Order: sequence, then C-alpha cells, then structure tokens
Amino acid sequence: MTALIETIGVSKAYGSFIALDGVSLSVASGELLSIVGPNGAGKTTLVNVLTGLLKPTSGAVRFKGEDIAGIGPVALAKRGMARAFQLVHIFPAMTVAQTIGVAVVSQASRSLRLFASVATDAALRSRVREVAGIFGLDTKLDTESRLLSQGEKKLLDIASAFALIPQVILLDEPTSGVSSGDKHGIMRTLMDAAKHAGVQAIILVEHDMNLVAEYSTRIVALKEGKVLADLPPTQFFNDPHIVAAVVGKLVGKVSQRAA
Amino acid sequence: MTSFFDILLGGVFHAAVLFLVAAGLQLVFGVQKIVNLACGSFYALGAYFGITSVNWALAAGLPPWMFLPVLIVSGIVLGAIGPAIEALLRTIYARDEAFQLLLTFALVLMFQDVLRFFWGPNPQQLSNLVTEYGRLSIGTFSVSTYNLLVIAASILIAVGIGAFLQRTRFGRILRATAENREMSQALGVNVRWMYTSVFTLGTILGTVGGALVVPTAAASLDMPVELVVEAFAVVVIGGLGSMRGALVGALIVGLMRAAAITFYAELEILAIYLVVIIVLIARPAGLFGKPIE
Amino acid sequence: MSATGLSAEAANGKQLGASRLRRHTALLVIVMAALIVLALFPSFAQPYYVTLVLPAFAYAIALLGFNLLFGYTGLLSFGHALFVALGAYGAAVLTSKLGIKSFELILLASGLAAVVVAIPVGLLAVRYVRIFFGILTLAFGMLFHSFLFKFYNITGGDTGIRVLRPALFGNEFSDLDKTAFLIGPFYYYCLVLLVALGFVMWRIVHSPFGLHLTAIRENSRKAEYLGVRVRMFRLAAFLISAFYCAVGGVILAINTGQADPETAYWTHSGELVFMTVLGGFANFFGPLVGAFVFIFLKSELMSLTQYWRFFLGVTLALIVILFPRGVMGVAQDLWSKVKKKQ
Repeated sequence: MTALIETIGVSKAYGSFIALDGVSLSVASGELLSIVGPNGAGKTTLVNVLTGLLKPTSGAVRFKGEDIAGIGPVALAKRGMARAFQLVHIFPAMTVAQTIGVAVVSQASRSLRLFASVATDAALRSRVREVAGIFGLDTKLDTESRLLSQGEKKLLDIASAFALIPQVILLDEPTSGVSSGDKHGIMRTLMDAAKHAGVQAIILVEHDMNLVAEYSTRIVALKEGKVLADLPPTQFFNDPHIVAAVVGKLVGKVSQRAA
Repeated sequence: MTSFFDILLGGVFHAAVLFLVAAGLQLVFGVQKIVNLACGSFYALGAYFGITSVNWALAAGLPPWMFLPVLIVSGIVLGAIGPAIEALLRTIYARDEAFQLLLTFALVLMFQDVLRFFWGPNPQQLSNLVTEYGRLSIGTFSVSTYNLLVIAASILIAVGIGAFLQRTRFGRILRATAENREMSQALGVNVRWMYTSVFTLGTILGTVGGALVVPTAAASLDMPVELVVEAFAVVVIGGLGSMRGALVGALIVGLMRAAAITFYAELEILAIYLVVIIVLIARPAGLFGKPIE
Repeated sequence: MSATGLSAEAANGKQLGASRLRRHTALLVIVMAALIVLALFPSFAQPYYVTLVLPAFAYAIALLGFNLLFGYTGLLSFGHALFVALGAYGAAVLTSKLGIKSFELILLASGLAAVVVAIPVGLLAVRYVRIFFGILTLAFGMLFHSFLFKFYNITGGDTGIRVLRPALFGNEFSDLDKTAFLIGPFYYYCLVLLVALGFVMWRIVHSPFGLHLTAIRENSRKAEYLGVRVRMFRLAAFLISAFYCAVGGVILAINTGQADPETAYWTHSGELVFMTVLGGFANFFGPLVGAFVFIFLKSELMSLTQYWRFFLGVTLALIVILFPRGVMGVAQDLWSKVKKKQ
C-alpha cells in the first residue's frame, strides 16, 4: 500500500531540547491512525510537522509523495489535507453557512471571483447545506457561530475542515470537552462524514483510549519524542508494557474492550 | 566646529525631550496596551502651561534663573488631569484596539480647542530665558547650558525610571501586570489603581517634556499633531513597550533630525521615516520590541 | 482575535455577508428614496448646501473603499489620507501641469497611481496587524505629507497645486461659472459615480472574495486552515481601498480647485476613521451615512462656534463609548425594537 502521508526519520530539535527523535510513520488510504501518548511526548510537534507548520530539523515529511515540510496551512489545504484543532476555532460573527462557505469557496478555487454573488450561488449553497447536514448543523445554517453551543462549535470547526474535501484529515482531540455520551456520537458522525466526503485517511490525536481502541485501524504511541509502538489495536492493547507506558491505570478496562 | 557641536547637542536635546514623551507612551502601552495619540496634546499642554507658570512666577518676583524648576513643577502639576482621562479611557479597555485609538484621537480633537480656548491661536514663547543659564565653554566648544541641563535631567529621569521598574516593588508589580493582567489581578494587585498611576506617570512625562522645550521653541497649536508623528517614529524604531527602545529610538530620531537640518533640510522628516521603514523591514518589532503576533 | 474584537461589534449588527430578500427589498426602497432626494437636491436646496454634498460624495466613495479594509477585513489604517491626497494631486498635476482635462482619464490615472503606490506600502503593512498596522500606515501617510511639503518645486509646497476644471465626457461646460458647474453637471456625474462605485463595492463585498475577507477579519488563523490566502487578500483589499480613496480625492480637489498637502496629514486619516465609525463600520451603508452626517455636522458646528473641533471630539468620544456601531447601528436597534413590538 502506498503511503498517503508519511514521515521518514523526522526529528525536531529546539536547541538542546529534542521534541521528536527519528519518528517514522505512514498512513495509507482507508486507515484511521491514532496518535497517543502522555503530554509532552511530542504529539503536537508531530502534528505540526505532519500539517506543514513546522520544518523538521532532519528527516522528511511527504504527502502523496511530495515534500510538505513547512508549506503552511493554505498550501496544505490546497493539496488536500485539512486539520481541526483541539481548541475550538470559529468565526464569531459569521453564520454556520458562511463558515462552511469559506471552505467550499477555497475548495472550488473561487475566492478570486470578486463579482460573483455568494447569495445566489446555488451550487455553493447546496454544497454548504450538504456538509452541514452530515454534521447535523443544517437547522442552524443562519445562526451566528458565537451563539452555538460548545459541542456545535466543535462540530462546525470539523465540518468546515471536511468541506475542503480533503484526502487526509487530521483531528486534534475532536472529542475533548465533550460529554462521554456525545463522544461516540461525534466519532460516528466523523466516520460518516469521512465516507461521504471522500476522505481517504484520518489521523486522530486522542486521549480517550476507549475511542482509540474502537475506531483506529492503527495506533502510534509516542513517548519522549520517540515512537514507542506502531500497531493495530488488538496487538497494541494486548501488550501490557505498551499500554502501561501510555495509559497507566486504564490497562485492565481497555484491553478487555480491544480483545 | 562650534556650530557643529551646537547642532549635535541640539539633536541630543531634542532626543532628550522626545525620550520623555516616548517613555510615557511606552509605559502606558506596556501596562494598558493603549497607544495614546493624545501624547502630543499633553506635550503641548505642558508647553503652554509652562510658559504661563513661568510668566506668573516671574511676575510674582521669582528670580529668572529659577525658571527651570518652575517648568518642571508645572509639568508635574498637570499630572492632575491624568486620573480623569484614564477614567475616560477605562470605559473601553475591554474593547477592540481600534476604538481605543479612536478615543485618544477624540482627545486630540478636544485638546486642540482646549488649548486654543485658554491660550489663543497664536504661538507663544518665553522671552529668551535660555540665556539666563548662558553657555558653557568646553575647550574650544561653546554650548548652551540649558540644553545640557535638560539632557542631564532626562538622563536622570531615564535612570530613575529604569531603577524604579527594576528595583522597586511597585515597579516589579507594574512589569508583572504588563505581562499578565489577569494573573496580577488574581494575585490581589489593585489593577485599577495601577492603571491610574501608570497613566498619570505617562501624562507627567509628556507634560514635563513639553514644558522643558519651551525656552528653545515656541508653543503652538501645531505641536500636538506634529509631535505624535515623531513620538511614533521613536516607538516604532525602538519597539513598542520597550524603555530601552524609547531611549535608543529617541537618540536616533533626535540625531537624524540634527543631521538632516545640517546637511539637507528638505529631508528632515523624510529621513526619519525612511529609517522607520528600514528598521521595520529589518526588524519588524523594532529594535527592542517583542515579536508581534 | 479577542472575542471582544471588531467581530463582536460587527456581530451585533448581523449585516455582513449574505442578505435575505426581505431585508433587500426594504433596503432597496430606502436606497432608492435617498437617491431620488439626492438627485432632486440641487433643484430645491440652497446652493451652499448643495456644495456641501460634493465633499460628502467624495468621502462617501473614499469610505466605501476604506471600510472594505476596516469593517470587512479588520485592518485599521491611520494613513489612508495618503491615497486621498494622491487622488487630489493626481487631478492637480494632470489638469494644471499636463493639460489633461478628461475627467474619466483623471479618475483612472489617479486611481491607478494610488494602486501603484499602495503596492509597496501594502506589501509592507500587511505583514502587521492591529496597532502596528495603524502606526505603520500613519508613518507612510506622514512620509507622503512631508514629501509633498518639502519638495515644493514639484509639489507646490504648502500652497499646493491648482486643480483646473475637468471635462465631463469631453464637455467643459465653459458657459457655466464655477459654482454652476459644480452644483450642476459635476454634481450629477459624481452622484452617478457614487452609485456605480457603490454597486461595484456591493458586489465585491457579497462575493466569495468578500466572504474570505470577512473570514480573515474574524479569525485569520482559522481562515488560513480553510485555504484562505490571508496576506494576499489583505493586500488586495488594501489596493482596492486605495483606488476608492483616490477617486474621492479627485472629487475633493476639483471641488476646492486646489490640491494641498494637508490632505495627507494624519489627522485627515483620523477623520476618515471618524466618519466611518460615525456612520457604522459594521454596515455596508454606514460609511456613506457617516460621510454625509460628518460633513453636515462639521459645517454646522463651524458656523456655530470657533471651538468646533472640541465638539467633534466629544461626538467621536460619545460614538466610541456609547454607540460603537454608529448611526446605522442605532437605526438597526430601533428597527428591531419596532419589529418586536409588532
């Protein structure tokens, strides 16, 4: 399987502090890769390298075979990768429809059209409605983002990323701050949306090991900047050393689920 | 050679006065994150009031050579307007910077006519009191003693501010509040009182600066809007929020002005702004400022 | 971007971006009514008041451009008087020094000159945001002012350069005296110009480009992740605003017959912001309303007292503290109160 996105021996050093040390991983089409690890393990740095925000000190990061080191968010979106953040990012005064519209306009490369009307663009509106529908936001199309609930804001953030029709989407703790009942709901919506939007691979950064166990096709554990494990869930959770290193107390509960 | 030295000293003198105003700007920006367009208005107010105070003092029988202390005191006394203005600005602290800038612009407009109301439309000056202090002869050079005194006063104030910020408890709290307002508040700092004091101090620096300049220049209604231009050049070159930046920026602007007047009068303010632009290209945050965004 | 930033102010207005047909109809009616009043104005109003409307037209056009940068893209420039001055001096140089009288050519040339100047200024300025952008643009404005002032051989120094009467579509209307020309054919030309440029700006603001600009204002980081080319679009908004300001400057200069360096002074830039906020920056029509209200307010104050600057300052302070969304904001609030009662 050819890798859709991969890092090859990526290291990132800040002076004498080594955030990432020789991290190699690859994600192929159809995979949902979860990146786990304790705080400070280098997850954020890895994600920033994967999404072209940071140039690695050494090693390569490639998307569809092309080098994407430090290309920045705009170029990244153009190439087909989207990212949603842990902390919710919205456009406070813009409605749900407008927010998703921004992404649709980018995706359709229509941003340079100075005189076309957004309001009468039927194709744009139907696409916006479609994406909003997938995430259950179609009843709130004209609501301003700042008036949405925290959960809805999160969904909007992710929905706008999906509207870019990315081939790979990177989700940074998409269920954080969400009640455990809603977590599975969000994950299922995400999987649905991914299928609908033609997303080929998902990279997830998650702390909730139950979710990781249930939805991942593969799990990469980071510790102190190094890859500790790169295994499918069953093997991952059957190894008590790995689980202990990453999770600690939840060992018993989680391995039961994965088995 | 004497004239060269005179011009040089004139440049440093101008820098000394600019530093005072810029220091006031930096203090207020550092703590309250407000850029005060009315800094020039305070400066002009200090100038006009300084003239009035000295004339009044002289009429009351004060010996002419005491005009310098009178100027300084009159500048400090004007600090009384600080709390009132800060109270006005306080109404929009939580709002976008654009509005804060606009409110200070409203102050500029208002002050323009306040000055006109009290002192009329014509420029005013102190009648040649500079000569009271005569000139100092250093070898073959002769320089105006008044300029030297003001430069010395400015250096003293600069050192004083530095010591105040670094060594006193209030200074440390001030710097902490500048870094992190919420935390300061959480730690029990009376941020309100701090804001009032800092703004008043900033105001005084501006008014004293204006007062000190009147023996050598006329006070006019153009002062408020003209000074803003140079003061902003200073803080942009030096870096917003930095005291060291205010010092270095003021020196650069003051000396450039002196050089431009000597060699190519047309270029005077153009030269200053060219330097501003060059500095910004090379170091976007100014020479000593913190990186932006 | 802080939650209490411009977006919060704008959000209370809810007017940016997509509009509904119902709102559109009411709006259209009001706009048509205003246009009719303006078109008939010279026939029923005193010439003095008619001559006031010309600078109002000029500033209305300038502010349409200015607000694209400020209200829609979130960048506050304190140096846009630079472009107004470029327009004024463009008109002056073309008519007095180069003998070019075609108003159309003057508008185009001055507008393009402004865009050309705006490119390097904008390229440097859009690297910064918020207060730094404001200070930098103030610096550039003053740089131009000092250039105008100091190089008096070219620019006429503090007296400036005369602006001669242009030809409107080739016709100089030489049978009309200055006032008759200004309140007659020139007035109508400028009204049509305002409508045309207003329409263009309306389309720009409601286009995909406009949507991306608003995204940049709301959260430029997130906008980047959604593929919005932040710096390029900020520059584009800067260039368009420069063009509009230059057009306004041309009209101002022809109206007064003189291009003078004070047009480029930073306080004039401040007045541009004043007018925009007075009318309401969060509303498309705000700047237009602001231009008219400001011109008439200033004129009335000047006739009442010599301390008119003070009262203008007080007005600005009141707007900033109590009515940040300006006249249009107040109008919208009243409108929603009326609708609630129904």
